[in-house]
Amino acid sequence: MEIFLQQIINGLVQGSVYALVALGYTMVYGILGLINFAHGEVVMMGAMVSLSALSLMAGLPPLVSLPLSLLLAVAFCMLLGYGIERIAYRPLRHAPRLAPLITAIGVSIVLQNLAMLIWGRDYHSFPQLFANHAHRMAGAIINDIQLAIVVAAFLMMAGLMLVVHRTRLGRAMRAVAENQHAAQLMGVDVNRVVSVTFMMGSALAAVAGVMVSANYGLAHYYMGFLLGLKAFTAAVLGGIGNLRGAMLGGLLLGLIESLGAGYIGDITGGFMGSQYQDVFAFLVLIAVLIFRPSGLLGERLAERA
Amino acid sequence: MSSLLEVKGLKISYGGIRAVRGIDLNVGEGELVALIGSNGAGKTSTLKAIAGLLPAGSGEVNFDGKDMNGVEASRRVSMGIALVPEGRGVFSRLSVSENLLMGAYSRLDAGIRDDLQRMYDLFPRLVERRDQLAGTLSGGEQQMLVMARALMSRPRLLMLDEPSMGLAPLMVKKIFETIKEVAAQGMSILLVEQNARLALQVADRGYVMEAGSITLSGASLLDSDAVRRAYLGG
Repeated sequence: MEIFLQQIINGLVQGSVYALVALGYTMVYGILGLINFAHGEVVMMGAMVSLSALSLMAGLPPLVSLPLSLLLAVAFCMLLGYGIERIAYRPLRHAPRLAPLITAIGVSIVLQNLAMLIWGRDYHSFPQLFANHAHRMAGAIINDIQLAIVVAAFLMMAGLMLVVHRTRLGRAMRAVAENQHAAQLMGVDVNRVVSVTFMMGSALAAVAGVMVSANYGLAHYYMGFLLGLKAFTAAVLGGIGNLRGAMLGGLLLGLIESLGAGYIGDITGGFMGSQYQDVFAFLVLIAVLIFRPSGLLGERLAERA
Repeated sequence: MSSLLEVKGLKISYGGIRAVRGIDLNVGEGELVALIGSNGAGKTSTLKAIAGLLPAGSGEVNFDGKDMNGVEASRRVSMGIALVPEGRGVFSRLSVSENLLMGAYSRLDAGIRDDLQRMYDLFPRLVERRDQLAGTLSGGEQQMLVMARALMSRPRLLMLDEPSMGLAPLMVKKIFETIKEVAAQGMSILLVEQNARLALQVADRGYVMEAGSITLSGASLLDSDAVRRAYLGG
């Protein structure tokens, strides 16, 4: 029972991060019908920039340096997301769908190599700024960082839903997602809405990057790749293009992974261990693509294609 | 009469097809002008070019005395040009009231709430459905919605592309009554219709478009033999 509860907690923490990153994939897909495969790299950049900022501000009290470095990472990633769209996707807006997909992979490789040149190939350790208290809950343990991750992620998701469903900007985003021409006829500057969408997704990605590296205490130029793929899987699981789907998919994927990793040893009699954790995400992806390609909350995928 | 919209020598081609081959057309302040013609005559392309959705190959579009060349579609909305496109273009996953608010997207003034109420007065059917997703409305209700949505931008020129398309006769009647009502309030309207008789009945003037050119124009097209033979079935 303790193991079960512990894996639920771990899954929620990991799932919150997946959900934030999956939102970035799904927002861009909803508006442009494009899979932004460079999105995982934005997460990595967020982590790396915040790390560098933290080490520059090493003398400052953590209550100042942590929020500041987080803000810096968010600002940097928003600019990065804006730039990626302007340079790599906008010129191909009316090109066949395969073209922007290939540039997306190109951007991803460029960013990875750029990060490798700047920060090197080594793992960087994320400084421990606060005492990370562990809390006992019915035999399972959750620490301060994990608690902060889950709370912050839920707050940000709630904030995003408010923006999308309750503001003029959010209305314009949903209008553009559904019918760009009609949105233009309402006076919506479609390019601006697309830029804002990329920037919002990138801001979430930056925070997710900081969360991951704070949780594991590590950051690395390659960390965005697998995380990006898994978050993409989460978006597909929930139904790509659907915001609620991305959140649900992220949390579910986190839970599936951690429960899978927790019990695979017992199930296979010790033949396979928790190192097979990553397999579950992709088993889920394959299963979804076979049995429910439109995802859990997805609708009418054919209409978009 | 002073012209609100003046189109001179407009040519549009896309994909090697010359859709519009140099037309002149104008709509005066407060006028209801019909543009009729068969399928593929270039009527929709003309409206799209005026709205800025299609680049004009050559020629001029002047609105309120200003050359519209190079002005983005989204800018033209705030200048007062509204187009209700063919096939309506409702945002089916937005609620009825959200669709109407989208119509006022280009406005930042305080009168939006009042205008919303005016639209509900003009189209009482929309009141009952204000919180429903627009995609669940019937075709006629959707047509009402997109007309109301266009009016929410407080346009000076309202362009309607085939408002009767796909609607039951009773609904067509209703829509045209509304068009007359809006025109009576002083709105300048450019109406594109395949239902030539209806369009010419409500319009002050009309143009007949054939294969990208305007072949006839005037105030009494309903009496013209050529129009009767070609568009009114005798």
